[in-house]
Amino acid sequence: QTKWNLPAAYPADNPHSENLALFAKDVAAATGDKLQITVHANASLFKAPDIKRAVQTGQVQIGEVLMSLHENEDPIYGVDVVPFLATSFAESKKLWAASRSAVEKKLASQGMMLLFAVPWAPQGIYAKKDLNSVEDMKGLKWRAYNVGTARIGELVGAQSVTVQAAELAQALATGVVNAFMTSAATGYDSKAWESVDHFYDTQAWIPKNMTFVNKAAFDALDKPTQDALLKAAAAAETRGWKMWEDKSGWYLDQLKAKGMKVQAPSPQLQAGLKKIGEQLTADWLKKAGAGGEAVIAAYKK
Amino acid sequence: MHDIGLVNLALILLGALILILGSGVWIAVTLGLIGFIAMWLTTSVPIGSVLATTVWSASASWTLAALPLFIWMGEILFRTRLSEEMFRGLSPWLQWLPGRLVHVNVVGCGIFAAVSGSSAATCATIGKIALPELEKRGYDPGISLGSLAGSGTLGLLIPPSIPMVVYAVTANVSVLQVFLGGFLPGLLVMALYSGYIILWSMLNPSKIPPRDPPMSFRRKLAESTKLIPCLLLILAVFLALVFGFATATECAAWGVAGALLLAWWSGTLNRKTFFESVMSATRLTCMIMFILAGAAYTTAAMAYTGIPAALAEWVKGQHLTPSMLALYLSIMYIILGCLIDGISMIVLTAVVVLPMVQQAGLDLIWFGVYLVIHVEMAQITPPVGFNLFVLQNMSGRDTLTVAKAAFPFFILLLAAVFIITEFPQIVLLLPQLAFPPS
Amino acid sequence: MRVFLDRLYLFSGYAAGAFLILIFGIMMFMSVGRQFGFNIPAGDDFASWCMAAMAFLGLAHTFKKGEIIRVGLVVEQFTGRKRWALEVLALTIATAFTLYFTWHAVTMTYDSWRFNDMAQGVLSVPLWIPQIGYASGLLILAIALVDEMVDVLRGNKPTYEKEPPSSPDEFVERVASGGAG
Ligand code: NA
Ligand code: NA
Repeated sequence: QTKWNLPAAYPADNPHSENLALFAKDVAAATGDKLQITVHANASLFKAPDIKRAVQTGQVQIGEVLMSLHENEDPIYGVDVVPFLATSFAESKKLWAASRSAVEKKLASQGMMLLFAVPWAPQGIYAKKDLNSVEDMKGLKWRAYNVGTARIGELVGAQSVTVQAAELAQALATGVVNAFMTSAATGYDSKAWESVDHFYDTQAWIPKNMTFVNKAAFDALDKPTQDALLKAAAAAETRGWKMWEDKSGWYLDQLKAKGMKVQAPSPQLQAGLKKIGEQLTADWLKKAGAGGEAVIAAYKK
Repeated sequence: MHDIGLVNLALILLGALILILGSGVWIAVTLGLIGFIAMWLTTSVPIGSVLATTVWSASASWTLAALPLFIWMGEILFRTRLSEEMFRGLSPWLQWLPGRLVHVNVVGCGIFAAVSGSSAATCATIGKIALPELEKRGYDPGISLGSLAGSGTLGLLIPPSIPMVVYAVTANVSVLQVFLGGFLPGLLVMALYSGYIILWSMLNPSKIPPRDPPMSFRRKLAESTKLIPCLLLILAVFLALVFGFATATECAAWGVAGALLLAWWSGTLNRKTFFESVMSATRLTCMIMFILAGAAYTTAAMAYTGIPAALAEWVKGQHLTPSMLALYLSIMYIILGCLIDGISMIVLTAVVVLPMVQQAGLDLIWFGVYLVIHVEMAQITPPVGFNLFVLQNMSGRDTLTVAKAAFPFFILLLAAVFIITEFPQIVLLLPQLAFPPS
Repeated sequence: MRVFLDRLYLFSGYAAGAFLILIFGIMMFMSVGRQFGFNIPAGDDFASWCMAAMAFLGLAHTFKKGEIIRVGLVVEQFTGRKRWALEVLALTIATAFTLYFTWHAVTMTYDSWRFNDMAQGVLSVPLWIPQIGYASGLLILAIALVDEMVDVLRGNKPTYEKEPPSSPDEFVERVASGGAG
């Protein structure tokens, strides 16, 4: 009997954590409890920034993390947060198919193995005022928390503000920040309607969480257990994508029900954002080099 | 992987803790060793890597950076004459009240709590100012240490509050509503503390120094003008927070700026006092951070052993009514609170406890405040209680002596838990006024 | 050697103090700068790293000043030879643990360099750079502990030991100079 620990960063009732719990259950059932995975949700074992390192050095055998968190280390981890490159679940799936082997290769070079990746809901803009074009975004107090959001802020002429996620609610309430980007789901979880009233469903990008194992820990399993694990992983990936596709409309309805003005971006705003997206894709390609170009070429085919 | 049973493991760890602490090993090191033993007995993962990673992760923290700044602010104010003058300003008004200046601890911490989200920072800042003044005036050290330890925890209950943010994220509830929910219970706890101080002084009249000669009302007012600079400072920091000039963490930097300004204005800021204030604050921070590092590692080790989750599972297995559930959870959190720090207590048990609480029909905002009061208790229960450590460092008296002095205030926090369980409206009134339930 | 070691502890303590001032500077600049449209990219990361550097670089200095606290109730019951033995025991345990801790903190920092680990915020900074403060702070503490151990084994009184204050005036004096523990 083998016991694995799986640190994850999001609360236990987040769909990602729920999916992980089901995955752990599947694995236990398929191996007759020979492999037991304990999910430590809510950053209760390791915090998000440390999870990859913990798996890499064998402190835990398996972990889940937001893939783009590691984009500074290798641009391939950030392929799914290039704004307006893949804006629907269908496109996102296609992008994942095109980029998967590159991500697998990168992880393998670090002694890890990818099991599966599951998307979040598409990213939109939360604001305290009407945004009819990108010109309206000029001067916004814009939360910049990674390379992409900082670049967008820069390109639209917003004022980038550094605020940690933990302080965001207060920062919005007191006016330190008045616009930021995240998904309808995260906005719903953090009760965004208490301090902002507009949500633009720009579907800017669809980030993913990836679940991966330490290769040595995986190799130590016997063949039937390995197969059971991979099978449960494939099932978790399918289930996870379906969960989020089904739920993303529900989240938009919830924001509406709470009194937020939920709308698609005006053609003008969309056009302006698209242009910024092209600029950012070019930025990303420059960083990602030949490998990145191959991924984008495969995706656009 | 060895299987020795969680109860046995818990007993072994507790025994080791008492033994190692008792032999005079530094507290931070002891905690690290307990984590080491726990992992060595139960896991086969590289223990040293876990130690290095969790400690780095716990100390490279933005929200934590407010702690040394608030401590520094206290050190600066302490070196001006302002802290002494604040006492002279308050003194005429508190003379009639049994307990006299001891109430400064409660009121001072209560006010400071409105700008600080941490218990240790509140305790250290007000303690630095109040302890020497009370000692000089001949107040009983027991009551001044105890009330400081207890009142320092108000930093967590009166918004802003770091554990409330952690809870809100964990339970997916509104941070703003939990903040609002803590406000009235904060006042309740202050009232309980002051009530106890009054009662205690009436029972122990010999331990409180005699009344100062009475003053005319005009004199009293004149003396009170001495309060103005300190009140202005707190007010400025508070307004910076409310009007969006600063986030809750940056507030601490405003506090330092304000204290430096006051020190300069009162003519006590010079190279020597500046240097001393920096080094004093640095040492106190290092002391606290070292223990925090040990605690962060023990907490990770506990997560590996599964003891906290098993405890929560056990409570779940009892199938309790809501009020019995609250009672059982109280007992569980008090036990855990002795050993692990408050914030970890929230995240380690959340997975099991939150669904249980929801199922029992308890309001999650209410539960957040209930939980934060338990986190407050954890700050003043030995062997791991950060307010105790701060006060030990300041007063030179042992952790256990401080813990004994703080015990009545621990009981008063329990009383507050009982009261908000009986009258949940104390918590829910403000959140429901601000965000009417649809 | 004595002078060198004492300076090492003292100057790393000063470095910790400098990081405290730096945290203050970064936060003020972030907060005030926002009103005028300035932003420090990844300012939150920089403040966090200063926090870690400060916490660990100041440890040796704090230890030597006797401000790293412990439960002294039992130890203080003893005097003479028995007390000396207890102090040696406590120092041995603390030194062993700190050496172990230091070894792994250094390894972690080295791994960050080897793995090319990057900060995850707006700026891409190699993580081994801020981790140097953490690892070297622990290393200096380990040196201080070994130093103390040798000193106590030679029969000297531990430098971290202080008598409790005997009068309110002395108490106030102690509080003024830092901790009284
Ligand atoms: Na507070
Ligand atoms: Na405690």
